[in-house]
Order: sequence, then C-alpha cells, then structure tokens
Amino acid sequence: MGADLRAAMGWLHTWAGLALGAILFAIFWMGTLSVFDREIDRWMMPDTRLPAVAPPAWPALIDRARALAPDSPAWGFVLPTPRAPTARFYYQDAAGEFTFRDLDPETGAALPEAGALGGTGFIFPFHFRLHLRAWDLGYWLVGLAGMAMLALLVSGVIIHRKIFADFFTFRHERRLSRASLDLHNLTGVLGLPFHFVMTLSGLIIFFGIYFPGAINAVYDNDRGAFNREVFGGFQRPVAGLPGPLGSLEAMSAEAARRWRGEPPYFVRVWHPGDANATVEMRRSRARSIDMNVDTLHFDAATGALLQEHSAAPVAHVQRFIAGLHFIQFEHWPLRWIYFALGLAGCAMIATGYVYWLAARQRRHAAGGAPGLRLVTGLTIGAVTGLLIATLVFFNVNRLLPQGAAFLGYERAALEVWAFYLAWLAAFAHAWGRPGCAWREQCWAIAALATLAPLMNWASTGDHLARTLPAGYWPVAGIDLLLLAGAALAARAALCLRQPAAAPAGGAALEAPGQV
Amino acid sequence: MRPPARFETGLPMLIALSLAAYAGFLLLALAQARPRQRLGLAAQLAPGRRLTLRLGGALLLALALVLALARDGPGFGSLLWGTAISLAALAVACTLSWPPRRLPGLAARVTRPGAGQARERAPDQGERQSR
Repeated sequence: MGADLRAAMGWLHTWAGLALGAILFAIFWMGTLSVFDREIDRWMMPDTRLPAVAPPAWPALIDRARALAPDSPAWGFVLPTPRAPTARFYYQDAAGEFTFRDLDPETGAALPEAGALGGTGFIFPFHFRLHLRAWDLGYWLVGLAGMAMLALLVSGVIIHRKIFADFFTFRHERRLSRASLDLHNLTGVLGLPFHFVMTLSGLIIFFGIYFPGAINAVYDNDRGAFNREVFGGFQRPVAGLPGPLGSLEAMSAEAARRWRGEPPYFVRVWHPGDANATVEMRRSRARSIDMNVDTLHFDAATGALLQEHSAAPVAHVQRFIAGLHFIQFEHWPLRWIYFALGLAGCAMIATGYVYWLAARQRRHAAGGAPGLRLVTGLTIGAVTGLLIATLVFFNVNRLLPQGAAFLGYERAALEVWAFYLAWLAAFAHAWGRPGCAWREQCWAIAALATLAPLMNWASTGDHLARTLPAGYWPVAGIDLLLLAGAALAARAALCLRQPAAAPAGGAALEAPGQV
Repeated sequence: MRPPARFETGLPMLIALSLAAYAGFLLLALAQARPRQRLGLAAQLAPGRRLTLRLGGALLLALALVLALARDGPGFGSLLWGTAISLAALAVACTLSWPPRRLPGLAARVTRPGAGQARERAPDQGERQSR
C-alpha cells in the first residue's frame, strides 16, 4: 500500500510539475516581485519619486479634479502612503472609461504621464492573470496551476523519503542530481507552510471566478447584489440641481474617529456638483492583516453620515485570507520575509526541473532523446529566460524617452513588447544552444542587472551614493537587489564554466531565484 | 489588532526573535544524525542528551513566538513567527552546508556525549571533515 501510494504520487508529482512548473515559476517570480510593486513603480516612474508623504491638500486636489474631470459622474483619490506618495486621481468619463492620473498631494499639480505600467500595472497583474484577458483564460490557467501546486506540495511530502532525517540537508558538493534534489527538498519542506498558505489563499481570493455557481445560485445570477453585500455600496439618484461639496478634511476626521484613528486610503465623490452628491471613504488597510471593506458614505454638502458598511463574518474571513496574500499592511520585516520565501519558492520550482533533467541526462544521453532537449529548453527559457525578460523590461523602461512611440504603440506598450520579445528570444536561444544556454543566460542576467542601476543613474541622476545617504529606499533597495542579483548570476555563470562539473551545480542553482 | 511596532523598539525584538529561532533550529539539527555526521561529530547521541537538545530547541522556538507576539500582537506576531521560522530553518541548513570553521568544536561542546559514547570526539578534536 505504502509503496503503491508513493509510486502513484511520484508519477503525479513528476508529470504535474513538468507540465505546469514553467507557469508556476512565472507566477511565483511575478508574485515575489509584486511584494515590492510600489517600489518598482517608483523606480520605473521617476516623476513619482516624491520626497516625503504629505497629507493631502484637499482644496488644491478638488480644484484639479474639477478641472480634469468636469462632467464625470464620479471621481476619487487613492491617497498618498509612504510606499506610494502621490495622490492617485481617478475618474470615469461619460463613456464609462476609467482614467488614472498621479497628482502631487501638496499642490494638486498633475505629474507628467508615466508612460509605464511598472510593478502595479504589469508585474502584479501578470502574477494572477498572465495578461491573458480573453475568456478569463489567464485567471483559469493560474487557477489550474494553483490547484496543481497544492497537489504537488502534498504529493511531494508523501514521496519524500526522509523528511525529518533530511530536514536540514543540502549537500551542495555532491553531483548535480543529488544537490538539486537536496535543494528542492529543502526549499520545499522548510517553505511548505508559506507556499501552501500562499497557494491556497491565492485560490480563495478568486473564488468568485473559479466557482461562479456559488454566487449565481445564492444571489440569483445578480453579481451586483453580491458585490453590494460584500463591499457595500450606497447610491443616490442625481437631483439635477447644483450643490456644494463640504469639507473633506472634516469627513476624513470623522472617518478616522469611527475607525479607531485609521484614516481613509480612498476617497470618492459620486455625482460631484450635484445637490445629491455623496462622498465615499474606504478605510486604510495599513494596520491589520485583513483587507477590510469598511466604508462610509457621507452627504457631500453637509457631511452627514448616510451609511456605514463593514464585512459580514464570512466575508471577513475571506478578506483576512486575502490580506495574508496581498500584504497591503505596513510591516517591513514581513514584506522582506515574504520576498525571501517567494524566492525560495522560485528556487524550489527551478530545482525540481533541474533534478528531473540531471537524473535523466545520463540515461538518455546515448539516445539523444528529443523529450530531454525539449524540457531543457523549457526549463532554461522559463527560469533564466524570465529573469532576462524582466530585466529587459526594467532596462527598456529607463531607455525609452518620455512620449516614445513606435509602430503605433505607446511607450508603456513598447516596454511590454520588449519583455515578451526578450522572453521569446531566451526560449529560442535555450532550444538552439541547450549545451551552453544556462551559462550564457546567466551572463546575460549579470550584464542586464548591472546595466539597470546605471541606466537609472543616467536617466534620473539617482545613484546609490545619493539615494543611500538620503535613505531613499524604494530606489536604493531596488538598485541594491539588482546588483546583488548580478553578482549571484555572475557567480553562477563562473561555476557553470566547466560543463559537467557536478560541484558547481549547487551554487549555480541558487541563482535563478535571486535577481 | 495592535499596530506594528515602531522601528526603534521593533528592531532589537526582531533580531532577538530571529536569533532565538535560528538557535532553536540549530539545537534541533544537532540532535540529528545527518547534521552531526556532516560536522564530523558522532552520529548517535545518548537518548537523554538528545532529548535535552530537542527540548532546548523547542523552548527557543517557543521563546521566538513569545517575542513575536510581544512585538506585534496576536495577528502580525503569529504571522511573523510562522514565516520567520522558515527562514531561520533555511539559514540553519545553509550553516550546516557551509559550516564555519569553529562550528564543529562549538557543537561538540554543547552536545557533550552522554555516558557510553566512547566514539564521541573530545571537544578540542572536533575538526571539520567536510569541506
């Protein structure tokens, strides 16, 4: 029984990992980077590198909002935080399209268009929908990979022969198949609680997409009713008569009083200028794990409270689980721990592939099995290739001038094209030169990760000798991580210089998770 | 839920709980055969000695939990502990993979053999065997 189960689980683990590992690596890698999505935004959108967080200067912001969106049915602000110091103005135009614009919270001045998607616009959405919008295909692929990840974690525990005896074992000096399996087991077992909770919570966040039937059955196919019950929602018909907008400071203060001192992170005015206008305020998520949905609606003219909403018990549990995953709270040690454990997850997936390849290399070498070559290319393209694509994305961001356009594509789209083309090229290179692709791509990573801080310096003047003494961590931190990644990749490339040198394998394998 | 600790009070507590978790896993590792062999120590310990090491390791991990809860309250504290111990265990695994020169001697002294462990080395002879 035991042996049968283990064999069956081994089969599942091997083939599910082989088939979905590449997608899982991309999800893990992008998720790990998303931990610092706001910092990546500052790095890639230099005009938003404001010196310090200022409380919003409401009169200036409201004037700017009226100028930018005179006829909008609703506009609002995502208020400045230490990680995102701009006042992010958003409005809906008459056609229902949403437009976002970063404003200086002190003066209300509109900052220049970023022309970049950055961490929150590209890397974070890649993490959960792979930028495949048609038929929600990206969500479903991520969901499938997430379910597979849970199965892989459980089956991995079952087939692990000596979980406790090898709890701390990493014999990096042994041959590649042994060293990579040790590292795979080590990162898998020691990171298991984190990886399991992250995968499961990721699936629970999108229960409404994966299990639409539950909502449709209970709410009679009315998504709007479901959303109103979970997130609140207060609507008042337009009066058609002009009306004033009261003091948003006073309403913010009232909100903070009701929320035990926590301010709103988002303020929206519905039907601005109308006598029936309302002001919606959503509570900051900086100080608790759960992503609260606490919302207040005020009468815009008088500031009288019209509705107070907060999550019902079951919704509250779901928002707590979501909060574990989204880490919207302010807690720097946890943010760095999530980043490190995310990298450990990347290393786990990459070493899974490397072990599979190393274990079969000798057996299949004689026959020159096409399957082996296919998986070799897939692994290299999915691991080092993705890191190269990410670094190309960073470099192209600093290379393109403001307002660049090519073949009808705007600047932000050109960055994305560069990302995908670089990734495609890395796959082609990996399949074309499987023998030396690991080493050459490690060198490419080292070069690109060294180049990026230099490009940042050249294009913005912010170099480490300036950002470090000033304590400007969003940019200094990313520059330092890039340089550390470059050093690791160069080290890996040097170790890979001697082909078939088994002891080098262990050190090299750590590199994929690092930039 | 309590807000995250301020930086000034938070950093010493963070270092203390990280060290407690690291030391806890190190003791647990030193009670095991594989890590002992890697450090060139006798694989087997007297059962009493092994139990002491394990209890010490568990106590240090519990101390780390107490420190985390005291620092950040029940919500953030338990999350901090639950994730930080994974990193501490990984750090112990790295320590054992590339052991510092003085670790085997130190480990031999901490885990001095119980009665009947004739093959155990004396602390000052506990030289590294693995590179």
